Amino acid sequence: MVRLITHNLLACHAKGCTSNNFPLQFQDVSIELRDADFNADFLRGFLPRLEWPALVGAARQLGDTSLPAEQPDMIDDEFLQKLHHVLLEIHVEEGAMVCPNCKHVYPISNGIPNMLLAEHEIG
Amino acid sequence: MLIQYLFVFAQVHEDFRIPELLSTSELYGFEIKFPERLEDRDTSRPFMLLELESEEHARLLSRRCILIRYVCEFYARGKSYEEVHEHNRARSSLWEKYIEDTSFKFLVTAFNHTIPQWRQRDVVESFSYMDFRGKIDMKNPDITLTVFEEYPDKHGTTREKTEGDGQFDEVWFGRLIEVGSARPLVKTFDVKKRVYYGNTSMEAEISLLMANQTLASPGKLIYDPFVGTGSMAYTTAHFGAFVLGSDIDGRQMRGKIKPPGIIRAAAQYGVASRIVDLCTFDVTQNPWRCGDLFDAIITDPPYGVRAGAKRLGRKSNRPPREAPAPAHVERPDDQPYIPPVKPYELSELARDLVILARYMLKPRGRLVFFLPTVTEEYEELDVHAMLCDGMELVANSLQNFGSWGRRLITIRKTTAEKYPPPIFDPVRAVTEAMDVHVPAHKDFREKYFQGFKKSDFSIEDVRRG
Repeated sequence: MVRLITHNLLACHAKGCTSNNFPLQFQDVSIELRDADFNADFLRGFLPRLEWPALVGAARQLGDTSLPAEQPDMIDDEFLQKLHHVLLEIHVEEGAMVCPNCKHVYPISNGIPNMLLAEHEIG
Repeated sequence: MLIQYLFVFAQVHEDFRIPELLSTSELYGFEIKFPERLEDRDTSRPFMLLELESEEHARLLSRRCILIRYVCEFYARGKSYEEVHEHNRARSSLWEKYIEDTSFKFLVTAFNHTIPQWRQRDVVESFSYMDFRGKIDMKNPDITLTVFEEYPDKHGTTREKTEGDGQFDEVWFGRLIEVGSARPLVKTFDVKKRVYYGNTSMEAEISLLMANQTLASPGKLIYDPFVGTGSMAYTTAHFGAFVLGSDIDGRQMRGKIKPPGIIRAAAQYGVASRIVDLCTFDVTQNPWRCGDLFDAIITDPPYGVRAGAKRLGRKSNRPPREAPAPAHVERPDDQPYIPPVKPYELSELARDLVILARYMLKPRGRLVFFLPTVTEEYEELDVHAMLCDGMELVANSLQNFGSWGRRLITIRKTTAEKYPPPIFDPVRAVTEAMDVHVPAHKDFREKYFQGFKKSDFSIEDVRRG
């Protein structure tokens, strides 16, 4: 935790921060790798909801270069295994996620990101 | 051709029985035909005859429904043993195949009563006309024939142990197919044996019933926006789903030692890898990038008795600070900064939850949550008034505590239309609420602490009015 599947779903939501607020940039992270259940149907179902370039970028930032820059048309088992690993098995345990636009820092402690906004940031 | 199966249910949470059966049959994609006569559908009785296409469907139900104790192939019923035997003889085609060479045993038992040993023997012997020639095997029989005597509830009376023996309302007879194997999960998930829990943790049985209402299964993604100590995350993950949780208060999810409490308890149940992530945020100020994400939302919103719902913002009418608050004042509990929060009124929260679910759920996804209600004032409209376009009520089951109760509400998203993210605007909500229905669960917290008495104010109103 924070896994890249979650990272791919979180955008900065500070008041007025509505463009260039995704993907959040990892900062000073420590990661752990842990096995997760492989489910091909889940991955296939989730693909249309993914922001592919954001996923590839985040994976590379964490040192994993197994995914192609372009989402492939052919979805085979080998690809799904790689996707599974990147989405579900890389855990960011400490560090922070930073908004590329407003620079809000969302700290990650003990695997749990703190996405709370400060008083002046809520709508 | 539908076949009749005799289901024996645990006599708890009766209002949850039929919704659980329907959810499970929807999950596996088959139909259940319920009895036509009202008295045969009466959930204050533990027995019900359900018609199914195959024994396989009966087994699927008994492996998933928490409230099922036994499933039998139905042979006969009657107000007396004479009636049972007559009925049973007429349906001999169902059991003829076991006459020649099948080992068997009898199980004679009663509901609301204990049958003395000597009469159990008599009952077994009364079935001798079936002429089973296989050997009797008490340990590993090929089939178990079950006799259930149904007695009226004798609760609160003093009596000899076997008093009234034989004065049953009805006798049910069939062949045991399966002992309900989901029911023992209630023990597995017992909160007292959990390595991490809090004072708002949901009891195991209800957490399991809730998980079944979500249609949790492998490959689904389920979200709890008030995850707290994770009670429902464990049960939904147990059924194979991936779970995401968030809470405005990270301390509930974490506990005091590492790794986070929810992860420790999930590991105890072998489902830690399916807890996808836990995030600290206020669901009214949430960072989800898009909607249409989850197969289900399951949650027990805080309703103010043991823990009140909170949302970001300031109480009272104090003006917010102009300058940014000090951003990173280190706090002992590792929370870098805790913004001010204000109470979140229950009826407002419930209505927001339905609108949030419409945005966040996939089409046909389900929202499953508890709504506390004041027993005397509750009306069905309270729940219907919460719904919005594209969201329909699937089930509404009451757990009654007397003057108040809580209702497990299951709502399905029926639309594939895209809706904008909800705004959670308390000001607009107040003005809109002026001319719409005021539900009995509004200001539930205040009503609870007043002991659900009508306030003096409303008595005055009545006098005047």
